[in-house]
Amino acid sequence: MNAVEVRGLSRSFDDRDILRDVSFTVGHGEIFGYLGPNGAGKTTTIRILLGLLAPGAGNVRVLGRDLAADDDARARVGVLFENNGLSDRMSAADNLAYYAGLYGVEDPAARIDELLALVGLADRRDDPVGTFSTGMKRKLGIARAILHRPEVVFLDEPSSGLDPGAQRMVRDLIVELSRREEMTVFLNSHHLDEVQRICSTVAILAEGRIRAFDSVENLTAASGRPAVTVALTDPGDRARACETVGSLPFVAGCDADDDALRCTLADPAAIPDLVAALVGAGFRIEEVRRSSRSLEEIYLEHVGRVEGGA
Amino acid sequence: MSTLSVIARREVRLALRNRGVLITAFIFAIWFPVMTALGIAAAAGGDAAAVAGGIAAITLPVGVFMGYIFCSDAFLREKRDGTIETLLCAPVSLQRLWEGKALGVVVPAYLTTLLAAAVSMGAASALADAPIAAEPLLLLHLAAVVPVWIAAAAGLIGAAQLALGMRENQILGFAFIFGFIFLIGGIQAVVSGGSGISATAEAVLAVVGLALLALARFIAGKVTKERIVRTIP
Repeated sequence: MNAVEVRGLSRSFDDRDILRDVSFTVGHGEIFGYLGPNGAGKTTTIRILLGLLAPGAGNVRVLGRDLAADDDARARVGVLFENNGLSDRMSAADNLAYYAGLYGVEDPAARIDELLALVGLADRRDDPVGTFSTGMKRKLGIARAILHRPEVVFLDEPSSGLDPGAQRMVRDLIVELSRREEMTVFLNSHHLDEVQRICSTVAILAEGRIRAFDSVENLTAASGRPAVTVALTDPGDRARACETVGSLPFVAGCDADDDALRCTLADPAAIPDLVAALVGAGFRIEEVRRSSRSLEEIYLEHVGRVEGGA
Repeated sequence: MSTLSVIARREVRLALRNRGVLITAFIFAIWFPVMTALGIAAAAGGDAAAVAGGIAAITLPVGVFMGYIFCSDAFLREKRDGTIETLLCAPVSLQRLWEGKALGVVVPAYLTTLLAAAVSMGAASALADAPIAAEPLLLLHLAAVVPVWIAAAAGLIGAAQLALGMRENQILGFAFIFGFIFLIGGIQAVVSGGSGISATAEAVLAVVGLALLALARFIAGKVTKERIVRTIP
Protein backbone atom coordinates (compact mmCIF):
# COMPACT_ATOMS: atom_id res chain seq x y z
CA MET A 1 0.00 0.00 0.00
CA ASN A 2 1.28 3.46 -0.93
CA ALA A 3 1.19 6.40 1.45
CA VAL A 4 -0.73 8.49 -1.08
CA GLU A 5 -2.75 7.26 -4.05
CA VAL A 6 -4.48 9.44 -6.61
CA ARG A 7 -6.42 7.70 -9.38
CA GLY A 8 -8.13 9.45 -12.28
CA LEU A 9 -8.75 12.59 -10.21
CA SER A 10 -10.70 15.37 -11.90
CA ARG A 11 -12.23 18.51 -10.46
CA SER A 12 -13.71 21.64 -11.92
CA PHE A 13 -14.89 24.95 -10.43
CA ASP A 14 -17.55 27.00 -12.19
CA ASP A 15 -17.21 24.95 -15.39
CA ARG A 16 -13.44 25.45 -15.39
CA ASP A 17 -11.43 22.23 -15.31
CA ILE A 18 -8.79 22.47 -12.59
CA LEU A 19 -7.68 18.82 -12.49
CA ARG A 20 -8.05 16.38 -15.38
CA ASP A 21 -7.53 12.68 -14.87
CA VAL A 22 -4.63 13.11 -12.46
CA SER A 23 -2.97 9.90 -11.25
CA PHE A 24 0.14 9.30 -9.19
CA THR A 25 1.31 7.48 -6.10
CA VAL A 26 3.70 8.33 -3.29
CA GLY A 27 5.53 5.53 -1.50
CA HIS A 28 6.10 5.36 2.24
CA GLY A 29 9.05 7.40 3.46
CA GLU A 30 9.45 9.30 0.20
CA ILE A 31 9.89 13.04 -0.09
CA PHE A 32 7.59 13.74 -3.02
CA GLY A 33 7.73 17.01 -4.95
CA TYR A 34 4.53 18.25 -6.55
CA LEU A 35 5.43 20.95 -9.05
CA GLY A 36 3.47 23.25 -11.26
CA PRO A 37 2.85 26.90 -12.06
CA ASN A 38 0.34 29.05 -10.18
CA GLY A 39 -3.19 27.89 -10.84
CA ALA A 40 -2.06 24.46 -12.05
CA GLY A 41 -4.18 22.72 -9.40
CA LYS A 42 -1.54 21.79 -6.81
CA THR A 43 -3.34 23.19 -3.78
CA THR A 44 -6.64 21.81 -5.05
CA THR A 45 -5.04 18.35 -5.16
CA ILE A 46 -3.81 18.71 -1.58
CA ARG A 47 -7.22 19.94 -0.42
CA ILE A 48 -8.92 16.95 -2.04
CA LEU A 49 -6.39 14.57 -0.49
CA LEU A 50 -7.05 16.13 2.93
CA GLY A 51 -10.82 15.84 2.52
CA LEU A 52 -11.41 19.59 2.39
CA LEU A 53 -12.77 19.44 -1.16
CA ALA A 54 -14.66 16.61 -2.83
CA PRO A 55 -13.22 15.04 -5.98
CA GLY A 56 -15.29 15.57 -9.14
CA ALA A 57 -14.22 12.18 -10.47
CA GLY A 58 -11.70 9.52 -9.51
CA ASN A 59 -10.60 8.68 -6.01
CA VAL A 60 -7.87 9.52 -3.55
CA ARG A 61 -6.47 7.66 -0.57
CA VAL A 62 -3.99 8.67 2.10
CA LEU A 63 -2.63 5.70 4.06
CA GLY A 64 -5.39 3.69 2.38
CA ARG A 65 -8.13 5.88 3.88
CA ASP A 66 -10.48 8.60 2.71
CA LEU A 67 -9.65 11.53 4.98
CA ALA A 68 -12.94 13.27 4.19
CA ALA A 69 -14.90 10.51 5.89
CA ASP A 70 -12.43 9.33 8.50
CA ASP A 71 -11.73 11.64 11.47
CA ASP A 72 -9.35 9.15 13.09
CA ALA A 73 -7.25 8.76 9.94
CA ARG A 74 -6.61 12.50 9.96
CA ALA A 75 -4.70 12.02 13.23
CA ARG A 76 -2.05 10.19 11.17
CA VAL A 77 -1.58 13.09 8.77
CA GLY A 78 0.03 16.51 9.23
CA VAL A 79 -0.39 19.61 7.13
CA LEU A 80 1.25 22.98 6.68
CA PHE A 81 -0.57 25.52 4.57
CA GLU A 82 0.86 28.89 3.66
CA ASN A 83 -0.64 30.58 6.75
CA ASN A 84 0.99 28.13 9.21
CA GLY A 85 -2.24 27.59 11.16
CA LEU A 86 -1.00 29.63 14.12
CA SER A 87 -2.61 32.31 16.23
CA ASP A 88 -0.52 35.48 16.49
CA ARG A 89 -1.96 36.27 19.91
CA MET A 90 -0.84 33.02 21.50
CA SER A 91 2.70 32.03 22.45
CA ALA A 92 4.63 29.42 20.48
CA ALA A 93 4.15 26.88 23.26
CA ASP A 94 0.42 27.64 23.64
CA ASN A 95 -0.13 27.24 19.89
CA LEU A 96 1.52 23.84 19.96
CA ALA A 97 -0.33 22.87 23.16
CA TYR A 98 -3.65 23.63 21.45
CA TYR A 99 -2.90 21.29 18.55
CA ALA A 100 -1.49 18.71 20.95
CA GLY A 101 -4.90 18.73 22.65
CA LEU A 102 -6.75 18.37 19.34
CA TYR A 103 -4.56 15.47 18.22
CA GLY A 104 -4.36 13.79 21.62
CA VAL A 105 -0.56 13.93 21.81
CA GLU A 106 0.84 11.95 24.73
CA ASP A 107 3.09 13.86 27.13
CA PRO A 108 2.57 17.10 25.19
CA ALA A 109 4.93 19.20 27.34
CA ALA A 110 7.93 17.00 26.51
CA ARG A 111 7.02 16.83 22.81
CA ILE A 112 6.59 20.62 22.62
CA ASP A 113 9.98 21.18 24.29
CA GLU A 114 11.58 18.67 21.92
CA LEU A 115 10.16 20.33 18.80
CA LEU A 116 10.85 23.89 19.90
CA ALA A 117 14.46 22.89 20.49
CA LEU A 118 14.58 21.13 17.10
CA VAL A 119 13.38 24.21 15.20
CA GLY A 120 15.54 26.56 17.26
CA LEU A 121 12.71 28.38 19.04
CA ALA A 122 13.18 27.07 22.59
CA ASP A 123 14.15 30.52 23.86
CA ARG A 124 11.01 32.06 22.29
CA ARG A 125 8.53 29.49 23.61
CA ASP A 126 6.53 32.00 25.67
CA ASP A 127 6.61 34.89 23.17
CA PRO A 128 3.48 35.70 21.14
CA VAL A 129 3.76 34.35 17.61
CA GLY A 130 2.79 37.79 16.32
CA THR A 131 6.29 38.99 17.29
CA PHE A 132 7.98 36.29 15.16
CA SER A 133 9.61 36.78 11.74
CA THR A 134 8.14 34.98 8.70
CA GLY A 135 10.89 32.37 8.89
CA MET A 136 10.31 31.72 12.59
CA LYS A 137 6.58 31.35 12.00
CA ARG A 138 7.26 28.88 9.21
CA LYS A 139 9.56 26.83 11.43
CA LEU A 140 6.94 26.82 14.17
CA GLY A 141 4.35 25.87 11.54
CA ILE A 142 6.45 22.86 10.57
CA ALA A 143 6.80 21.90 14.24
CA ARG A 144 3.01 22.17 14.55
CA ALA A 145 2.49 20.03 11.46
CA ILE A 146 4.60 17.17 12.83
CA LEU A 147 3.69 17.58 16.50
CA HIS A 148 1.59 14.40 16.57
CA ARG A 149 4.20 12.34 14.69
CA PRO A 150 2.17 11.97 11.48
CA GLU A 151 2.99 9.24 9.00
CA VAL A 152 2.38 11.60 6.08
CA VAL A 153 2.87 15.36 6.11
CA PHE A 154 1.65 17.75 3.42
CA LEU A 155 3.71 20.92 3.05
CA ASP A 156 2.18 23.58 0.80
CA GLU A 157 4.89 25.98 -0.36
CA PRO A 158 6.93 25.75 2.86
CA SER A 159 9.62 28.13 1.54
CA SER A 160 7.26 30.72 0.13
CA GLY A 161 8.12 34.27 1.20
CA LEU A 162 11.34 33.28 2.93
CA ASP A 163 14.79 34.73 2.32
CA PRO A 164 17.46 32.33 0.96
CA GLY A 165 18.90 31.64 4.41
CA ALA A 166 15.51 30.77 5.84
CA GLN A 167 14.71 28.67 2.76
CA ARG A 168 17.79 26.62 3.36
CA MET A 169 16.92 26.27 7.03
CA VAL A 170 13.45 24.99 6.16
CA ARG A 171 14.87 22.63 3.52
CA ASP A 172 17.36 21.15 5.98
CA LEU A 173 14.60 20.86 8.54
CA ILE A 174 12.37 18.89 6.16
CA VAL A 175 15.16 16.45 5.36
CA GLU A 176 16.10 16.10 9.02
CA LEU A 177 12.50 15.51 10.06
CA SER A 178 11.86 13.05 7.26
CA ARG A 179 14.87 11.07 8.39
CA ARG A 180 14.27 11.36 12.12
CA GLU A 181 10.53 10.85 12.17
CA GLU A 182 10.42 8.49 9.16
CA MET A 183 7.62 10.48 7.55
CA THR A 184 6.35 10.58 4.01
CA VAL A 185 6.59 14.20 2.86
CA PHE A 186 4.30 15.60 0.16
CA LEU A 187 5.98 18.84 -0.85
CA ASN A 188 4.08 21.33 -2.93
CA SER A 189 6.66 23.83 -4.13
CA HIS A 190 7.71 26.40 -6.71
CA HIS A 191 11.34 26.11 -5.69
CA LEU A 192 12.76 23.71 -8.25
CA ASP A 193 16.22 23.78 -6.77
CA GLU A 194 14.78 22.87 -3.40
CA VAL A 195 12.76 20.02 -4.88
CA GLN A 196 15.75 18.68 -6.83
CA ARG A 197 17.86 18.69 -3.69
CA ILE A 198 15.50 16.98 -1.30
CA CYS A 199 12.83 15.07 -3.23
CA SER A 200 13.13 11.48 -4.34
CA THR A 201 10.12 11.56 -6.69
CA VAL A 202 8.49 14.36 -8.59
CA ALA A 203 5.24 14.99 -10.46
CA ILE A 204 4.87 18.02 -12.72
CA LEU A 205 1.35 19.37 -13.06
CA ALA A 206 0.37 21.86 -15.75
CA GLU A 207 -3.11 22.92 -16.76
CA GLY A 208 -4.58 20.27 -14.52
CA ARG A 209 -2.73 17.33 -16.06
CA ILE A 210 0.31 15.38 -14.89
CA ARG A 211 3.05 16.09 -17.45
CA ALA A 212 5.82 14.08 -15.82
CA PHE A 213 5.97 11.67 -12.91
CA ASP A 214 9.17 9.84 -12.04
CA SER A 215 12.12 9.77 -9.69
CA VAL A 216 14.27 12.89 -9.81
CA GLU A 217 17.18 10.68 -10.87
CA ASN A 218 15.32 9.27 -13.86
CA LEU A 219 13.85 12.59 -14.89
CA THR A 220 17.15 14.43 -14.87
CA ALA A 221 19.05 11.59 -16.54
CA ALA A 222 16.50 10.77 -19.22
CA SER A 223 17.04 13.67 -21.54
CA GLY A 224 16.27 11.68 -24.67
CA ARG A 225 19.78 12.28 -25.95
CA PRO A 226 22.90 12.12 -23.78
CA ALA A 227 24.82 15.33 -23.31
CA VAL A 228 28.48 15.91 -22.61
CA THR A 229 30.27 18.97 -21.29
CA VAL A 230 33.86 19.43 -22.53
CA ALA A 231 36.16 22.00 -20.94
CA LEU A 232 39.15 22.99 -23.08
CA THR A 233 42.51 24.13 -21.75
CA ASP A 234 42.37 27.20 -24.00
CA PRO A 235 38.90 28.76 -23.77
CA GLY A 236 39.58 30.72 -26.96
CA ASP A 237 39.33 27.46 -28.93
CA ARG A 238 35.66 26.88 -28.05
CA ALA A 239 34.05 28.35 -31.18
CA ARG A 240 36.41 26.49 -33.52
CA ALA A 241 36.03 23.27 -31.54
CA CYS A 242 32.28 23.60 -31.75
CA GLU A 243 32.48 23.85 -35.53
CA THR A 244 34.71 20.77 -35.62
CA VAL A 245 32.48 18.52 -33.53
CA GLY A 246 29.31 19.92 -35.09
CA SER A 247 30.22 18.21 -38.35
CA LEU A 248 30.65 14.78 -36.76
CA PRO A 249 27.83 12.31 -37.60
CA PHE A 250 27.26 11.19 -33.99
CA VAL A 251 26.92 14.77 -32.65
CA ALA A 252 23.39 16.13 -32.73
CA GLY A 253 24.30 19.61 -31.57
CA CYS A 254 26.98 21.74 -29.93
CA ASP A 255 26.92 25.03 -28.04
CA ALA A 256 29.90 27.02 -26.90
CA ASP A 257 28.95 28.30 -23.46
CA ASP A 258 30.90 30.73 -21.30
CA ASP A 259 33.21 28.08 -19.93
CA ALA A 260 32.82 24.87 -21.98
CA LEU A 261 31.36 23.08 -24.98
CA ARG A 262 28.00 21.44 -24.46
CA CYS A 263 27.51 18.64 -26.98
CA THR A 264 24.37 16.58 -27.48
CA LEU A 265 25.15 13.15 -28.85
CA ALA A 266 23.04 11.10 -31.23
CA ASP A 267 24.74 7.97 -29.90
CA PRO A 268 25.33 7.58 -26.13
CA ALA A 269 28.36 5.35 -26.80
CA ALA A 270 30.12 8.02 -28.84
CA ILE A 271 31.82 9.92 -26.01
CA PRO A 272 35.26 8.32 -26.66
CA ASP A 273 34.87 9.12 -30.38
CA LEU A 274 34.07 12.75 -29.53
CA VAL A 275 37.16 13.02 -27.34
CA ALA A 276 39.32 11.35 -30.00
CA ALA A 277 38.02 13.75 -32.66
CA LEU A 278 38.81 16.81 -30.53
CA VAL A 279 42.29 15.55 -29.61
CA GLY A 280 42.89 14.59 -33.26
CA ALA A 281 42.02 18.13 -34.32
CA GLY A 282 44.65 19.50 -31.92
CA PHE A 283 42.46 20.69 -29.04
CA ARG A 284 43.69 20.16 -25.50
CA ILE A 285 41.01 18.86 -23.17
CA GLU A 286 40.90 19.74 -19.48
CA GLU A 287 37.72 17.92 -18.45
CA VAL A 288 34.94 15.80 -19.94
CA ARG A 289 31.77 15.06 -17.99
CA ARG A 290 28.41 13.57 -18.77
CA SER A 291 25.75 16.25 -18.23
CA SER A 292 22.36 15.74 -16.74
CA ARG A 293 19.58 18.23 -17.14
CA SER A 294 18.41 20.23 -14.20
CA LEU A 295 14.92 19.82 -12.89
CA GLU A 296 14.33 23.42 -13.91
CA GLU A 297 15.01 22.55 -17.56
CA ILE A 298 12.65 19.60 -17.38
CA TYR A 299 10.01 21.67 -15.63
CA LEU A 300 10.22 24.47 -18.17
CA GLU A 301 10.11 21.96 -21.00
CA HIS A 302 6.82 20.53 -19.71
CA VAL A 303 5.25 23.72 -18.44
CA GLY A 304 6.60 25.84 -21.30
CA ARG A 305 5.18 23.38 -23.81
CA VAL A 306 1.76 23.84 -22.26
CA GLU A 307 2.04 27.61 -21.90
CA GLY A 308 3.36 27.89 -25.43
CA GLY A 309 0.26 26.10 -26.63
CA ALA A 310 2.20 23.19 -28.11
CA MET B 1 -9.47 16.87 28.28
CA SER B 2 -12.14 16.56 25.58
CA THR B 3 -11.65 18.25 22.21
CA LEU B 4 -14.74 20.35 22.93
CA SER B 5 -13.07 21.72 26.04
CA VAL B 6 -9.73 22.20 24.22
CA ILE B 7 -11.39 24.28 21.49
CA ALA B 8 -13.60 26.28 23.86
CA ARG B 9 -10.73 27.08 26.25
CA ARG B 10 -8.61 28.34 23.39
CA GLU B 11 -11.39 30.64 22.15
CA VAL B 12 -11.89 32.06 25.64
CA ARG B 13 -8.15 32.68 26.00
CA LEU B 14 -7.99 34.36 22.58
CA ALA B 15 -10.99 36.53 23.44
CA LEU B 16 -9.30 37.62 26.67
CA ARG B 17 -6.21 38.62 24.67
CA ASN B 18 -8.11 40.63 22.07
CA ARG B 19 -8.07 44.16 23.46
CA GLY B 20 -10.22 45.59 20.67
CA VAL B 21 -13.04 43.10 21.26
CA LEU B 22 -12.77 43.40 25.05
CA ILE B 23 -12.89 47.20 25.01
CA THR B 24 -15.93 47.15 22.70
CA ALA B 25 -17.64 44.57 24.93
CA PHE B 26 -16.91 46.46 28.15
CA ILE B 27 -17.99 49.82 26.74
CA PHE B 28 -21.24 48.27 25.56
CA ALA B 29 -21.69 46.38 28.85
CA ILE B 30 -21.41 49.63 30.81
CA TRP B 31 -22.64 52.42 28.53
CA PHE B 32 -25.81 50.76 27.23
CA PRO B 33 -27.14 49.65 30.69
CA VAL B 34 -26.42 53.06 32.23
CA MET B 35 -28.34 54.77 29.43
CA THR B 36 -31.29 52.37 29.62
CA ALA B 37 -31.33 52.45 33.46
CA LEU B 38 -32.59 56.03 33.23
CA GLY B 39 -35.66 54.83 31.36
CA ILE B 40 -36.10 51.76 33.55
CA ALA B 41 -35.96 53.78 36.79
CA ALA B 42 -38.30 56.46 35.45
CA ALA B 43 -40.87 53.96 34.16
CA ALA B 44 -40.71 51.62 37.15
CA GLY B 45 -40.91 54.30 39.81
CA GLY B 46 -39.39 52.03 42.46
CA ASP B 47 -41.45 48.98 41.56
CA ALA B 48 -38.99 46.07 41.83
CA ALA B 49 -40.95 43.84 39.43
CA ALA B 50 -41.05 46.57 36.82
CA VAL B 51 -37.30 47.18 37.22
CA ALA B 52 -36.67 43.45 36.86
CA GLY B 53 -38.81 43.46 33.71
CA GLY B 54 -36.83 46.36 32.29
CA ILE B 55 -33.52 44.65 33.02
CA ALA B 56 -34.76 41.36 31.59
CA ALA B 57 -35.81 43.22 28.46
CA ILE B 58 -32.36 44.67 27.84
CA THR B 59 -30.16 41.72 28.83
CA LEU B 60 -31.23 39.51 25.91
CA PRO B 61 -30.34 42.05 23.17
CA VAL B 62 -27.11 42.83 25.05
CA GLY B 63 -26.32 39.09 25.21
CA VAL B 64 -27.00 38.65 21.49
CA PHE B 65 -24.80 41.62 20.67
CA MET B 66 -22.01 40.26 22.89
CA GLY B 67 -22.33 36.93 21.10
CA TYR B 68 -21.92 38.72 17.78
CA ILE B 69 -18.84 40.62 18.98
CA PHE B 70 -17.08 37.50 20.25
CA CYS B 71 -18.16 35.46 17.20
CA SER B 72 -16.29 37.83 14.94
CA ASP B 73 -13.12 36.84 16.78
CA ALA B 74 -13.76 33.11 17.03
CA PHE B 75 -15.23 32.33 13.62
CA LEU B 76 -14.67 35.18 11.19
CA ARG B 77 -11.08 35.98 12.14
CA GLU B 78 -10.09 32.34 11.84
CA LYS B 79 -11.59 32.27 8.37
CA ARG B 80 -10.08 35.58 7.30
CA ASP B 81 -6.63 34.42 8.50
CA GLY B 82 -7.04 31.06 6.78
CA THR B 83 -6.18 29.15 9.96
CA ILE B 84 -9.59 27.48 9.80
CA GLU B 85 -8.24 25.34 6.94
CA THR B 86 -5.61 23.83 9.23
CA LEU B 87 -8.20 23.22 11.94
CA LEU B 88 -10.45 21.42 9.45
CA CYS B 89 -7.63 18.93 8.87
CA ALA B 90 -7.49 17.98 12.57
CA PRO B 91 -9.13 14.74 13.73
CA VAL B 92 -12.18 16.65 14.93
CA SER B 93 -15.58 16.71 13.24
CA LEU B 94 -16.83 20.00 11.86
CA GLN B 95 -19.81 19.76 14.23
CA ARG B 96 -17.50 19.46 17.23
CA LEU B 97 -15.38 22.35 16.01
CA TRP B 98 -18.50 24.53 15.71
CA GLU B 99 -19.69 23.47 19.17
CA GLY B 100 -16.32 24.22 20.77
CA LYS B 101 -16.08 27.62 19.16
CA ALA B 102 -19.67 28.51 20.03
CA LEU B 103 -19.04 27.49 23.65
CA GLY B 104 -15.88 29.60 23.64
CA VAL B 105 -18.01 32.54 22.50
CA VAL B 106 -20.80 31.96 25.04
CA VAL B 107 -18.51 32.13 28.10
CA PRO B 108 -17.12 35.69 27.62
CA ALA B 109 -20.39 36.90 26.08
CA TYR B 110 -22.36 35.62 29.09
CA LEU B 111 -19.94 37.11 31.62
CA THR B 112 -20.05 40.54 29.98
CA THR B 113 -23.86 40.31 29.78
CA LEU B 114 -23.98 39.58 33.53
CA LEU B 115 -21.78 42.63 34.01
CA ALA B 116 -24.26 44.65 31.95
CA ALA B 117 -27.14 43.34 34.09
CA ALA B 118 -25.28 44.25 37.28
CA VAL B 119 -24.53 47.73 35.95
CA SER B 120 -28.21 48.17 34.97
CA MET B 121 -29.40 47.14 38.39
CA GLY B 122 -26.84 49.35 40.16
CA ALA B 123 -27.68 52.36 37.99
CA ALA B 124 -31.44 51.81 38.36
CA SER B 125 -31.05 51.51 42.16
CA ALA B 126 -29.04 54.70 42.29
CA LEU B 127 -31.54 56.58 40.12
CA ALA B 128 -34.52 55.22 42.08
CA ASP B 129 -32.73 56.38 45.24
CA ALA B 130 -33.35 52.99 46.86
CA PRO B 131 -31.67 49.58 46.52
CA ILE B 132 -33.63 47.31 44.22
CA ALA B 133 -33.56 43.64 45.15
CA ALA B 134 -33.26 41.11 42.37
CA GLU B 135 -36.50 39.30 41.59
CA PRO B 136 -36.32 35.48 41.57
CA LEU B 137 -37.65 35.49 38.00
CA LEU B 138 -34.90 37.88 36.97
CA LEU B 139 -32.31 35.56 38.50
CA LEU B 140 -33.85 32.66 36.56
CA HIS B 141 -33.83 34.80 33.44
CA LEU B 142 -30.13 35.58 33.88
CA ALA B 143 -29.18 32.02 34.85
CA ALA B 144 -31.11 30.11 32.19
CA VAL B 145 -32.76 32.18 29.45
CA VAL B 146 -29.87 34.54 28.73
CA PRO B 147 -27.20 31.82 28.18
CA VAL B 148 -29.58 29.87 25.93
CA TRP B 149 -30.15 32.92 23.73
CA ILE B 150 -26.46 33.79 23.66
CA ALA B 151 -25.69 30.20 22.64
CA ALA B 152 -28.37 30.34 19.93
CA ALA B 153 -27.05 33.65 18.62
CA ALA B 154 -23.41 32.49 18.74
CA GLY B 155 -24.33 29.21 17.06
CA LEU B 156 -26.35 30.78 14.26
CA ILE B 157 -23.98 33.66 13.61
CA GLY B 158 -20.97 31.31 13.83
CA ALA B 159 -22.47 28.84 11.38
CA ALA B 160 -23.31 31.69 9.00
CA GLN B 161 -19.79 33.11 9.30
CA LEU B 162 -18.34 29.70 8.47
CA ALA B 163 -20.62 29.18 5.49
CA LEU B 164 -20.73 32.64 3.94
CA GLY B 165 -18.12 34.75 2.19
CA MET B 166 -16.64 37.88 3.78
CA ARG B 167 -18.90 40.29 1.89
CA GLU B 168 -22.08 38.37 2.70
CA ASN B 169 -21.02 38.24 6.34
CA GLN B 170 -20.53 42.00 6.44
CA ILE B 171 -23.99 42.53 4.97
CA LEU B 172 -25.78 39.90 7.02
CA GLY B 173 -24.00 40.47 10.35
CA PHE B 174 -26.20 43.31 11.50
CA ALA B 175 -29.25 41.72 9.90
CA PHE B 176 -28.76 38.82 12.33
CA ILE B 177 -28.53 41.14 15.33
CA PHE B 178 -31.57 43.18 14.38
CA GLY B 179 -33.47 40.01 13.55
CA PHE B 180 -32.77 38.69 17.04
CA ILE B 181 -33.64 41.99 18.70
CA PHE B 182 -36.96 42.27 16.83
CA LEU B 183 -37.75 38.66 17.70
CA ILE B 184 -37.01 39.22 21.41
CA GLY B 185 -38.95 42.47 21.48
CA GLY B 186 -41.87 40.86 19.67
CA ILE B 187 -42.05 37.93 22.08
CA GLN B 188 -41.84 40.21 25.12
CA ALA B 189 -44.51 42.52 23.73
CA VAL B 190 -46.92 39.72 22.81
CA VAL B 191 -46.49 37.58 25.93
CA SER B 192 -46.05 40.12 28.72
CA GLY B 193 -47.45 43.26 27.16
CA GLY B 194 -44.01 44.82 27.05
CA SER B 195 -43.66 45.50 30.78
CA GLY B 196 -42.72 43.55 33.89
CA ILE B 197 -41.38 40.03 33.99
CA SER B 198 -43.59 36.97 34.04
CA ALA B 199 -43.12 33.25 34.28
CA THR B 200 -45.03 32.84 31.02
CA ALA B 201 -42.78 35.23 29.17
CA GLU B 202 -39.67 33.52 30.55
CA ALA B 203 -41.02 30.09 29.59
CA VAL B 204 -41.80 31.24 26.04
CA LEU B 205 -38.40 32.91 25.70
CA ALA B 206 -36.67 29.77 26.97
CA VAL B 207 -38.57 27.54 24.52
CA VAL B 208 -37.91 29.86 21.56
CA GLY B 209 -34.25 30.15 22.60
CA LEU B 210 -33.89 26.37 22.70
CA ALA B 211 -35.62 26.08 19.33
CA LEU B 212 -33.18 28.60 17.86
CA LEU B 213 -30.29 26.67 19.39
CA ALA B 214 -31.58 23.49 17.76
CA LEU B 215 -31.93 25.38 14.48
CA ALA B 216 -28.34 26.64 14.82
CA ARG B 217 -27.15 23.08 15.39
CA PHE B 218 -29.11 21.86 12.37
CA ILE B 219 -27.70 24.60 10.13
CA ALA B 220 -24.16 24.00 11.40
CA GLY B 221 -24.61 20.33 10.52
CA LYS B 222 -25.36 21.33 6.93
CA VAL B 223 -22.21 23.43 6.52
CA THR B 224 -19.51 21.52 4.65
CA LYS B 225 -15.75 21.82 4.73
CA GLU B 226 -15.84 22.53 1.01
CA ARG B 227 -18.22 25.44 1.59
CA ILE B 228 -15.89 26.88 4.25
CA VAL B 229 -12.71 26.42 2.22
CA ARG B 230 -14.24 27.93 -0.91
CA THR B 231 -15.33 31.06 0.96
CA ILE B 232 -11.94 31.74 2.55
CA PRO B 233 -10.84 35.11 1.14
